[in-house]
Amino acid sequence: MSEAAFSTQPSRTGRRIRRAILIAFLLVVVVVLVLPLTLTQQAADANLDPTTLGIDFAINKSIVRTETTIAMFVALAAAWNLIGGLTGYAAFGNVAFFGLGAYTVGFLTDKQHLSFALALPLAPLVAAAFAGLIGVPLLRLRGHYFAIATLGTGVAVGEVIKNLDVFGGATGLFPPILRHADALFFYLMAANAGLAVVVTWLVMRSRFGYGLIAIRENEEAASVLGVNTTAYKVGAFALAAALTGLAGGIFAQWSSFIDQESVFPIQYNVQMILMAIIGGAGTLFGPVAGAIVLEWLILSLAGGGASAVYAQMGLGVLLAVTVIFVPRGVVDFFGGSSKLSLGYFRRSLRETSV
Amino acid sequence: MLELAGVTKRFGGVAALSNVSFTVAEGEILGLIGPNGAGKTTLLNCISGVYRLDGGSITFDGRRLDGLPPHQVARLGIGRTFQVVKPFASMTVRENAAVGALFGSGQAHLAPKAAFSWADEVLELVGLARKARLTVGSLTIPDRKRLEVARALATKPRLLLLDEVMAGLNPVEVDEALDMVRKVHAGGITIVLIEHVMRVVVGVCDRVIVLHMGQHLAEGTPDEVLQDRRVIEAYLGEKYAARRHG
Ligand SMILES: Nc1ncnc2c1ncn2[C@@H]1O[C@H](COP(=O)(O)OP(=O)(O)OP(=O)(O)O)[C@@H](O)[C@H]1O
Ligand SMILES: [Mg+2]
Repeated sequence: MSEAAFSTQPSRTGRRIRRAILIAFLLVVVVVLVLPLTLTQQAADANLDPTTLGIDFAINKSIVRTETTIAMFVALAAAWNLIGGLTGYAAFGNVAFFGLGAYTVGFLTDKQHLSFALALPLAPLVAAAFAGLIGVPLLRLRGHYFAIATLGTGVAVGEVIKNLDVFGGATGLFPPILRHADALFFYLMAANAGLAVVVTWLVMRSRFGYGLIAIRENEEAASVLGVNTTAYKVGAFALAAALTGLAGGIFAQWSSFIDQESVFPIQYNVQMILMAIIGGAGTLFGPVAGAIVLEWLILSLAGGGASAVYAQMGLGVLLAVTVIFVPRGVVDFFGGSSKLSLGYFRRSLRETSV
Repeated sequence: MLELAGVTKRFGGVAALSNVSFTVAEGEILGLIGPNGAGKTTLLNCISGVYRLDGGSITFDGRRLDGLPPHQVARLGIGRTFQVVKPFASMTVRENAAVGALFGSGQAHLAPKAAFSWADEVLELVGLARKARLTVGSLTIPDRKRLEVARALATKPRLLLLDEVMAGLNPVEVDEALDMVRKVHAGGITIVLIEHVMRVVVGVCDRVIVLHMGQHLAEGTPDEVLQDRRVIEAYLGEKYAARRHG
């Protein structure tokens, strides 16, 4: 874990290069974070004067939309990493928590006329409570039994909600539209993504995190050393569910229309797992990097028609290549201990050239 | 300190343990011997809560253990090792021991920093201090067995259950391991150890219990047990025969 990361002393030039990369990275982050504000401001101005409404407006809106979607997937992948990456339980049904969060906000704003600000905090609570409830029986299962059971649960929750008239049935729910709030939704999604990363960071440094990793590595050994494995697994599952449910809650208000298809899409399950694994499951920034790159690829390639097919094929090839050549993800490839990683290559160079 | 009464454990139709009763007194080193498949490891799994009993009871300082999950047994002060080692492979040696320190008995609030320094002390005791920062993958089999002991010790147990931690060691390493067991014992820890190496049993055990086909066959000081005709027939006989032929 964290210890090993500090065991290599970078050379002076190495440090300088690292600092340059860090500064460049921070600059990109600042631009990405500020852009939606200026873009939507222009959009709002344009809106006051309809004659200037044009192609720029549409492009600006789509940039903000892209950024918001990417931030959403960063949160989903980082949340999945808590149960799938750190604890080693391949949850295949996290979209249930996304949908529950979305329906919580949708129901409370549309049917109960609660404000979005009051409804949103309940989204993660509902999702986490549900995870706690199903987690106790499901987390007794291991390996692909757990994966299939969670996948089934994810589908079932959506079907049940679709058939309940209080939740709009097949028509769906319509949270009242918030105007000129594109920037707000981006910042909410980005804040949730940041929260997911901070939570992961805190977990990884804590007793809780050591317990989760011990469970992943050998659950029986963890239990005889005193780890309350059931409580820890359910805790990690509920934490992942809360972050996923929060993303769903924001999404519901953002899209101002939800139904079963739009907030329980099965492919989200696969996407968030791919993102975490390709970036590096069990690492802090792996899922973040995986989500940014993959969702950006999906959004820019999936224009429809032939390019969508290529995008799908590309994703499949990417997954195969990653699992075969970089089994522990891209982050590990650059810094980690696997024999296929650049870090290993650098270290062996240094060790052989004394 | 530990009391087993009529402990029974079945797998399918086969009784791995039938009606086993004995006690462990505070401060002693108790040897548990018997041929392969006698039920020794199964007995450890029953005590540590990994298996549920099919009959009988186990009490530790007057508290019923049977029915408790493994983590609660651990927190009451019982540490154990696994005959087939079960390390946390992605962690360093030090982190492995630290997990024991973080979750073991009566120290639910040990901060990570304190846990790591306690882990370092334990690694020193078992002779792994110099390998603390290696990952488990680069350890030899004897070192992995030492790590099993370190992890269990890190939980600060009052009763330590060791399952063949000296199997596969050469004579010099066995002597080192015996020293380690004596040191641990001198620190006030009661020990139950499963061993096939008779030199170990004679060397450190105050008392020995022989299991055979899931049943309590004999009990006594090492000398008494080694001269017991039933024990020689059931267990030692085949060992001596093997030695004569090999
Ligand atoms: N999980 C299990 N499922 C089915 N049978 C089991 C299980 N564990 C042990 N057994 C059976 O119970 C019997 C006792 O096994 P155990 O491992 O306790 O023996 P042991 O005395 O530790 O032997 P060894 O000296 O080889 O380690 C054996 O017949 C074994 O096959
Ligand atoms: Mg055994």
